[in-house]
Amino acid sequence: MEEKDLGKYTVSFAVSLGITCVLSALLVVLKELSEHSVLVWMKGATGHHWITHGLFDLIVFVVLGLLLARANGGSGIAISEKGLITIIVGGVVLGGLIIAGFYLIAG
Amino acid sequence: MLSFTEMLLMVHVGFGMLCIVASVWVFVDVLNVNENNLTRIRKTSLAVAVFMWLAYLFGGYWYIFYYGTDKAIILKGPWPFSHSFFMEMKEHVVLMLLLLATYLPIAASNNLATSRAARKVVLWVSGLVALVGMAMDGSGAIISMGVKVALLPK
Repeated sequence: MEEKDLGKYTVSFAVSLGITCVLSALLVVLKELSEHSVLVWMKGATGHHWITHGLFDLIVFVVLGLLLARANGGSGIAISEKGLITIIVGGVVLGGLIIAGFYLIAG
Repeated sequence: MLSFTEMLLMVHVGFGMLCIVASVWVFVDVLNVNENNLTRIRKTSLAVAVFMWLAYLFGGYWYIFYYGTDKAIILKGPWPFSHSFFMEMKEHVVLMLLLLATYLPIAASNNLATSRAARKVVLWVSGLVALVGMAMDGSGAIISMGVKVALLPK
């Protein structure tokens, strides 16, 4: 018999993945356009802006995933299978387009 | 004899390729999922994440400590876009690939033999890992070519 439900961590971390991808791409634009403030801070925080960027992504992904899993009294958020796939693919594609588009113009 | 930096790059590319191959394996295995290959799918999904993390750590170490020399060579050569577009894009898109690969074993922890929704999620994620991984591999090749053409005698 076919099951319809996905595990709560499958749903929460999928949503977290989509959101983190877009936030990460926006951080690329922000740090590149703020070379004397955001980029300097990111370099100073860990010694290299890329390490800080990676840590930001990982922390957002894990914290958001765990928080969303605790929503609705611990049963996690409810999203349809189609919605979930749209969030994953949409997040990755949008994030990739923002990054590629930015460097295509700025580069 | 390979130098330390060459070795780092080879290991980085090697783990990246293993990640792509393992994600294609997961994709095909999920298309033919049953109770007998569930454990293998979960183990291979975990391998995708482990290979990606290793590719990221080895590549990241090389990028932070050794890429500066190559970057200077590229920017003085005829292919400056191999840094200004391909490297800049690669170093940030790869962070999304890392998250995708990390998520794959979470999605594969569902019972894929009985859950159509979980199968679709795993198919999309493993497919994306393979496609984005190949794009990263191609970008790496263009970056290498950027160094090579800059060093060719004029």
